[in-house]
This record gives sequence, C-alpha cells and structure tokens, in this order.
Amino acid sequence: MSDAEQSYLVKTISGQSRGAALGAWIGWLVRATGPLLGLLLLCLVLSLTTDSFLTVNNLLNVLDQATVLGIMAIGMTFVILIGGIDLSVGALLAVSTMVMGTLNANFGVPLPIAVLGGVTAAAIGGFANGVLVVRLGVPAFVATLAMMSIARGVANLITNGTQITGYPFWFSELSIIRYGGLLSATVALFILLALISGLILSYHSIGRKVYAIGGGAEVARLAGINVKKYTTMIYVLCGITAGIGGVVLATRLDSSEPSAGLGWELDVIAAVVIGGGSLSGGVGTIGGTVIGVLIIGVLRNGLNLIGISPFIQQIVIGAVIAVAVIIDQLRLRRG
Amino acid sequence: MTLRNRILAATAAFGLTMAAPVAQAQEDLTIGLALPSLTLDFFDQIRGAVTERAEELGVELIIVDANGDSARQVNQVQDLISRDIDALIYVPAGATAAAVPVRAAKRAEIPVVTLDRNPPNAPGDTFIASDSVAGARGIGEYLVEVTGGEAKVAILQGQIGTTPEVARDKGLMEAFANHPGMEIVAQQPANWLQDEGFNIAQDMLQAHPDITVFVGRSDAPAMGAAQAIRVANVDHKIWVVGFDGLPVALEAVRDGSLDATATQQTVAMGRLALDSALDLIEGKELPAEQLMDVTLTTADNAQAFIDNHP
Repeated sequence: MSDAEQSYLVKTISGQSRGAALGAWIGWLVRATGPLLGLLLLCLVLSLTTDSFLTVNNLLNVLDQATVLGIMAIGMTFVILIGGIDLSVGALLAVSTMVMGTLNANFGVPLPIAVLGGVTAAAIGGFANGVLVVRLGVPAFVATLAMMSIARGVANLITNGTQITGYPFWFSELSIIRYGGLLSATVALFILLALISGLILSYHSIGRKVYAIGGGAEVARLAGINVKKYTTMIYVLCGITAGIGGVVLATRLDSSEPSAGLGWELDVIAAVVIGGGSLSGGVGTIGGTVIGVLIIGVLRNGLNLIGISPFIQQIVIGAVIAVAVIIDQLRLRRG
Repeated sequence: MTLRNRILAATAAFGLTMAAPVAQAQEDLTIGLALPSLTLDFFDQIRGAVTERAEELGVELIIVDANGDSARQVNQVQDLISRDIDALIYVPAGATAAAVPVRAAKRAEIPVVTLDRNPPNAPGDTFIASDSVAGARGIGEYLVEVTGGEAKVAILQGQIGTTPEVARDKGLMEAFANHPGMEIVAQQPANWLQDEGFNIAQDMLQAHPDITVFVGRSDAPAMGAAQAIRVANVDHKIWVVGFDGLPVALEAVRDGSLDATATQQTVAMGRLALDSALDLIEGKELPAEQLMDVTLTTADNAQAFIDNHP
C-alpha cells in the first residue's frame, strides 16, 4: 500500500472526509499514471504506425469491443481489492447469457424479465462462491475454480450445447446504434457502472471498508467491519457484473452460446492487474481498471489494424502484461 | 523430373496464368481473412493456401485469428473494416453467432466470401465449402461395405450446431438409412480436437467394449480414437474414419492407423476464396454456393494426396 493510500485510510478512519477525498484523488493519480502513460504511449505508437487507428469511428469501436470485459472487470476489481480472486466469471457470463436466452426463446418470457433472470442466475453463482469462501473456508482460487467448471456445465446443459438465436431486433440494436453518434446503450451502461462503482470505492463508507478488508482482514474485523458479510456481497457483485456481461455479449453477438466467455477470467484479471490492482489485495482503483481494460482493447485493436500475424499478437499481448506489472512492481518498491 | 511431372507442372503454371487476369491492379487491394482457430490444422492449411495465392497476385492480406471465440471474431472483423479492407474472407468461429460480422461488413459495403461455415440468416455473397453431405455419405457407404452392414458405431462429433457438423451428420445418416445393422451406440462432441477425441474414445470403449466403428467428424478426433484403441489393446478389428484429409491424417491412412478419411480440397478452397473475393470486388456475380468435391481416401490413394494435396 502506498503512503498516499495509507494516509488516506488513516484520515478516512479518523473521519476527515474532505482531506480524505483529496488524499484519494492524489492516491488515484499516483497509482493510475503508470498505466495511463502506457495507454497514451500505446495510442501514440499506433497513431503513427497506422492511419486507421486514430479515427473517431475506430476509437468508438474500441469502446464497443472493451465493454463486456470492462463490465466484468468492475466486479473483479472489488474481489481483487479484498485480496480474493474469481476464476468463475467467464463461466458465469455463459450461464447468464444462456439462462436469459432459454427463458426468452424456449419459455416465452418477455426479454426484460429474461435479462433479470440471467443476471440473477449469475448472482446465485457468485453467492455460492461467497459461501464457499466465507462459511466453508475454501480458498477463493479453489472455490471459484470449482464454480468455473460447475457453471460451464450448467451453461452447456441448458440447451445441450447448442446456441440460441432469434432475439428481437431492438435487442441487438442496443450495442449497434450510437446515440448522438457516440455512445451505444451498452457502452453507456459500462461508463455508468464504472462511475458509480468508482464513486462508491472513493467516497462511500463501503469503499473504505473494502480497502480496509484488503489491507488486512483481521484488522478490519477488529475495527468492527463485518468482513464475512462484505466478502460474500462482493462475490455476489462479481457474479452480477459477469451476468451483465453475458447480457451485453448477447446483444453484441445477437445470440447466446454456451462456449461464450471461455478463458475470459484471465483477460479480466489481467485488465485489473495492468490497471495497477495488486493480487495481494488492498491496492487498485476502478479508474486504473478501466485503463487496464482499454490497454487490452487498444492493443488487440491496434495489432489487427497493423495486420500483425495472429501468432505474434499472442506474444506481444503476453509481453505487455508482463511489462505492465513489472513497471508497477518497480514503482511500488521505490514508493 | 519425369515427363509426367513436367506436364503436370506445365499444366499448373498454365492454370496460374489463366487465373491471373482475374483482377487487374490488385496491388492496391487489401483483403481481410478472419479465421476461427489456427490451432486446428484445417484452418492453418486454408491460411497457407490463401496467403500463397495473395502473394502470387500481389494482394495485401490481413489475417486475424479468433482462437475459437466468436465474440473476439466480431471485434476482429470490426477492426478489419476500420482498416478499409476491400473484401472479407470469413470463416465463422461460432455457428449461429456468425451473422453479426457479415452484417457489419454489409453495412460498410464490403463484399464477403464465407468459407466452410455459412451463417444461415446472413449468408456471404458466395459460400465456399466442401460438399460435406456427399463426403460423409461416401464415408458411410464405405463403412457399410467394409463391416457388411453390421456395426456398433461410436461418433466423435464436432462443435454442435456448426455447418460441417450438421452436414456430416446428415450425410452419414443418409448412408446408414437402409442399414438397420449400423447401430449408433455412443456419440459425444469432441470439438474437432485430438486430445478430446482420445479421452472420449477411451471412455466410450470402457462403456461399450463391443464398438466396431469410430467415426471422427474430422481427422483430429479420429486420430485420437485410433490412439485410444491402440492403448486399450482391444481384441477385435475397430474401423476408424476421419474427415478433412489433413496431411498427418493422410499419412495415418497410408500407414493403416486410420482406415479412411474424406479429403477436402483445402488448397483449392483457399485459392478459390481469394479469387472469389477479387471477383466480388470487381462486381462480378458469383453463385451463392460453390461446393467442392470431397474424395474418399483409403490406403490405396492416400499417397497421391500426400505428394500433391488438392
């Protein structure tokens, strides 16, 4: 934990909220500048190497493309902040999209209610994660690994492995039509969710408790924070964001498939970590995570635009993840 | 070089010069190739064939690989469109999700060649594929013949719902239709993968030791099954057939670990895809479907295909 954040915690706990807000702002700047510089540098290089990168349309494409990953990464940020991990998000995304699809296509449930059904199903998976971790003492890595397998099985079972199509026209328009020429409904949803959760983490007492749990669960418990309740709630939240991701993905693909989101948990975790989140907990911000998400999005987009061989793309992306974390580690050690 | 080979080479060269006028001034053209997964050899062969043809004609080719993820493929096609490609060669990663990239390209007025899989609700301007139904029927008829119409058949399916899976199932069932002795005792998706094919075949043999035929919906799971049979040390003949005619599978057929496969004209398909893309750019009308013949391949004719893959 950096000095800025420690002083932030101390101040907030002693109740000086205005100073805390300032401290939080400075803390965020210190933490986010590394990834932010990386993102800007990446954009600069891509703008120089290809004409098609720095266009309004392409940058909006990047936002579109990063939306599902971004929404999932919001929940993951909370989980990583309390020192946990959630490997089941990719599979919970699949459960959500399949439950929503089958409710709508096979049971005739109106789509808005089917959407709620899908997200609820993923939330239940998240709740089960929380119970396994908090009540039964299963390490988060193992608990969510088990859930990953269970949820993937459930997603496949719903239609016996086949895809679902036939969503109404307006549904896929949610991620196609750009209102005011800028934001599709799904991108707007991502921005809204990021803003709300960023504000909660920075200014609401819940945010302070989350950082406190991540800083040391035992200390937080002694300070009177109901660690078990918050931990469970955060795994539910992570399930919910994965579920919302499943809905957004369905609008984007105009269909639901049980293999959706296979392996995405790793992208989501990478986004949080590139954005300055620490897997040992207590360190990370929503702003950083959004930048991490954009770095992954811009990188994939840019490499496609340049026309780099798919095999080399995999190498470059791996190298960027490693470099981002190494820089962050060096910075933390110095600070 | 024998006289026969020289004639072949000359014919091939003639074919190239004949095909060359297809598009003039291709130097400025850029074509996007969106592939589902390069871990599957079939698509890597397609990549090789399209690349070779593009180099011959001096067309710029941008290749993206979705790694089996249809959401990523949507992103990639979006990127290709941003890149101002003149035509798209699109091999869908999913089955039904496949419509979105075609629609996106259409909105940008970019012609689309679909290959191997075609989105039913948004087909490409032309669709190039093997005649999988006929190919699978050929495999089925071969199996009926060699087993005398009495067999316990296990099927290693491809990814459920994809065009090749559906078509190959249809062809096989057509061949088995009048032969009630061809009994399907087990079927399970191996998702075109060799290691999944191995594991599933092993379990199938455990559950049904009397299996006499393994049908791999593609070569990779069939080769997995062949390995599982070797490991299981069974005491009766089990016929193993694949589909695709990948170079490794052709060698396996020649050497006897696979009994038969159906060889797709992978190289020809890749080349035709690029030529079709250029034709579409010029505004030529192409048939909605361009189906290529598939050849039943056994130990008798495998070597010819190994020497010169169609």
